[in-house]
Amino acid sequence: MNLKSVLESLMFAWGEPLSINEMSKILEIPAKSLIPVLDGMIEEFRDNKDRGLLIQKFGNSYQLTTKKENYEYIQSLLESTVNKSLSTAAMETLSIIAYKQPVTKVEIERIRGVKCSQVIKGLLDKGLIKEAGRLDKPGRPVIYSTTDEFLRHFGLSSINDLPSLENDKDIKEAEMASSL
Amino acid sequence: MDYSVNINVFQGPFELLYHLIEKKEIDIYDIPISEITDQYLEYLEEMMQFNMNVASEFIYMAATLIEIKSQMLLPQKEKAEDPRQELVAQLLEYKLFKDISEELKKYEEESSFYISKPREEMALTSDSRTEQLFLNEVTAYELYNIYLSLIKKQNFKIDTEEKFKVYRESYRVKDCMEELMKKIKKFGKISLFDTFKEKQRISKEYVITLFLAVLELTNNRGMKIYQDRQYGDIIICRQEKK
Repeated sequence: MNLKSVLESLMFAWGEPLSINEMSKILEIPAKSLIPVLDGMIEEFRDNKDRGLLIQKFGNSYQLTTKKENYEYIQSLLESTVNKSLSTAAMETLSIIAYKQPVTKVEIERIRGVKCSQVIKGLLDKGLIKEAGRLDKPGRPVIYSTTDEFLRHFGLSSINDLPSLENDKDIKEAEMASSL
Repeated sequence: MDYSVNINVFQGPFELLYHLIEKKEIDIYDIPISEITDQYLEYLEEMMQFNMNVASEFIYMAATLIEIKSQMLLPQKEKAEDPRQELVAQLLEYKLFKDISEELKKYEEESSFYISKPREEMALTSDSRTEQLFLNEVTAYELYNIYLSLIKKQNFKIDTEEKFKVYRESYRVKDCMEELMKKIKKFGKISLFDTFKEKQRISKEYVITLFLAVLELTNNRGMKIYQDRQYGDIIICRQEKK
């Protein structure tokens, strides 16, 4: 068995981000040993100028995508691409969840100053966020966190790749100030 | 003369407030509260004029602004907290996430240049060739084969010991309809409950069959059924001809 070849075929057949656990289960190879192989493949694909595909890593999942420099040609081939961009309300809500996760709806609403139930439902439906349990406080409110689909939507390999704030203290300071 | 006014639609009171502050290039730490309050209220007025729904959050913010304004007018004690402090903190926090969301927007745009395939409905059959079968093309025999291969693949163990008996139906809807029709001819109208009681022993099957017969009668034979109250007796009689 040629491991790299199999992995490439699996990713092609699946299409969507394929989790490393799934690949590990199929190949009966521990996930730990697959990661360096896949990371190596990411580089190989990226560096081979003659190929039009990339492997991208989103959290614990890997996916085959086209290369960015070929976008305009693909665009003229496709009739019209569906606009997948999110609304301002959704973007604001997601930003809060991404940086403060896990976070309750009440906290999100406090920061945005508006009701967020509909927006949160939309984000759940799109699979960008998930319920990550409940807070051990009165009312046991649901807490939300981002998903691998969130990483994919924004082209992030991991949550650590989120744009760092100019001053990481910003959030803390704002929190402190608002809790006064 | 027609003219149109372009109104920005704001997501929430913080966004509106922030917009006003930015437009005036005001120092956020020293907001001229009176001026901002006036502008804020003006905007709400405009929204209402255009019959837009003003969300309660906007009204709440208006009240907060007016409260701060009134506090600012009162003589301040020394070392007293600036009444604007809490609002400023909230605005700063909101702005932080607004900025982040604008940054993330760029990431979203960037990632849209990478095309990927959605997952397709792919299923491999035993001969490893994918075949799409439509239900109306599948014969019972094929369906049976698919079922067998699925069971085999999933390693399900089906208990074949159990046997099911199929009984001949003891009552037929048609017979019950005849019976009911005869009675209606004789009595004019009949009660469903009384009909049940005529039998010494009532089986579930009889109840269901008779009920179906009643429904059939109203459907085909111009009978009328009615009930005086919920869960009450059901009366069947001839539909009066107009």
